[in-house]
Amino acid sequence: MATDAPAATGVSTDERAFWERIKEPAVYVRLISLVVVIGGWELMGQTGNIDPVTFSYPSAICVAFWDLIASGQMTAAAYESSQILVAGLLIAIPLGIVLGILMGRFQVFEYAVDTYVFALYATPVVALAFPIAMVLGVDFVGKTTIVVFFAIMPIIVNVYHGVRNVDLSLLEVTRSFCSTESQRWRDLIFPSVVPYLVAGLGLACGRALVGMVVAEFLMSISGLGALSQDYIADLELDKGLAPVVLLMVVGIALTKVVNICETKFSSWRVRQES
Amino acid sequence: MSSSDNGTNPTLRLQGIGKWFGSLHVLDDIDIDVKTQEILTVLGPSGCGKTTLLRIVNGLILCERGEVSFKGEVVDGPRPEMAMVFQNFGLFPWKRLDQNIGYALRIQGKEKGEIDRLVSHYTELVGLGGFEANYPSQLSGGMQQRAGLARALAAQPDVLLMDEPFGALDALTRETLQEELLRINEAEPKAMIFITHSIDEALLLGDRVLVMTPRPGRIRFQFETGFGRGRDLEEIRGGKRFQALRHYLWEAMRNPEEEPEPIPDLVIE
Ligand SMILES: Nc1ncnc2c1ncn2[C@@H]1O[C@H](COP(=O)(O)OP(=O)(O)OP(=O)(O)O)[C@@H](O)[C@H]1O
Ligand SMILES: [Mg+2]
Repeated sequence: MATDAPAATGVSTDERAFWERIKEPAVYVRLISLVVVIGGWELMGQTGNIDPVTFSYPSAICVAFWDLIASGQMTAAAYESSQILVAGLLIAIPLGIVLGILMGRFQVFEYAVDTYVFALYATPVVALAFPIAMVLGVDFVGKTTIVVFFAIMPIIVNVYHGVRNVDLSLLEVTRSFCSTESQRWRDLIFPSVVPYLVAGLGLACGRALVGMVVAEFLMSISGLGALSQDYIADLELDKGLAPVVLLMVVGIALTKVVNICETKFSSWRVRQES
Repeated sequence: MSSSDNGTNPTLRLQGIGKWFGSLHVLDDIDIDVKTQEILTVLGPSGCGKTTLLRIVNGLILCERGEVSFKGEVVDGPRPEMAMVFQNFGLFPWKRLDQNIGYALRIQGKEKGEIDRLVSHYTELVGLGGFEANYPSQLSGGMQQRAGLARALAAQPDVLLMDEPFGALDALTRETLQEELLRINEAEPKAMIFITHSIDEALLLGDRVLVMTPRPGRIRFQFETGFGRGRDLEEIRGGKRFQALRHYLWEAMRNPEEEPEPIPDLVIE
């Protein structure tokens, strides 16, 4: 087939681009892997090798997923969960950035708080669920606080390292040209922190989801966590796993959003690779 | 220029500079005067403290002994009348070439039209026209070095401190920029300290050449090249005086211990 003008071959550019993409290992290896794993799992289920009381398989989960959406349970649960997730992230992201910057830039502040920050970083946050429940209650405030604790640590620590790792020779350039402190933040410190921050945000989103489910399991039971737990307790594993699938999808989507932000904010880095 | 200042009074005066990094004695008793329109080129082995000296002059680091003064005022920190061309270029990787070159101008709060005009002028001057939208990682080492030079020139300083600014350039570009630098020095008088490892370059550009010794860095000797203003590099290169001075410097660099046979009519300080 001729490979020049698309018009001559009757193949549209879109279609051509699609087949070009499929030819990349990144695409086809993933596709094959998905087909093999999900197909194999489905086959096990179809041939009766999976006991529906202890586990389920893709097509059954899909049907259950649809049932839960049709009955409105999934949407209601997702709405409930998303409130603490979004509230938690909206607090954790700005607070984490500010704390990380203060720690990285002001030695006194660092000495004042680093013990707690690194102690908390090393502590499994699950262990904090009960004290938090005692102080802040088991409802919205308590749950959101758990999400904040889960999500904020990687942001603080990454931003802190970003500020700390500012290129000293560039710092000297800003000094040499008599930059003011605020100009220095704009020209040097913020741009050097962005890649660290983005990496931190990626981790934070993942951990926020974990925190959300933990909060819903351990505190007043609600949202997707409750939905999943209830059905698993009733031995309806297909419906119990459907919310888990939704969480996976949300997790992947959040990671994608973070990646897109990264590309937007560090175009100079991306171009370097291409 | 004021009437009393006809290009001969020192703009820059270094008196008894001594510098230690911890227990490492880097510079010892450095006295240098640089006049308003003078180009001082500095030669010396690697690690003898040339970069350190420029950082002290720029006010980036303090010295334990002595002081630097600029037009009679003690230098206790960076000032906008001085600009440095950094040995490692010091470009911001996330800024485009034009933003890097205009950096000093934006810091000084110049208005946008003025910045654009100066940036495009100096970008062309160093031969980087057409690359304005590129990030430093997309430029070759020599191009990055020229960007660092353009950034300092665009700031239109009274004192230009240049740390091996042509080290990464090919011979042809190097020659073009040497001529350009002399032309700029003629058009907009500046005191320049120019560090180089090239003997030829030190002689061609320098009104005065200063040679340093290492551990600790001291002034070994200095002399006026005497090639005069508005010099023609080709003519100088072919001349007897250039050849003799070149030979003298080669001998001096080869034998760090003893001074070569003096040349007639050359005043070695
Ligand atoms: N910040 C620093 N801390 C400790 N030692 C330093 C520091 N900067 C430079 N030195 C030391 O001071 C000495 C002089 O360094 P400098 O960079 O001034 O040399 P240089 O003459 O510019 O060398 P080159 O020609 O290789 O650029 C070296 O021995 C170096 O190790
Ligand atoms: Mg150096």
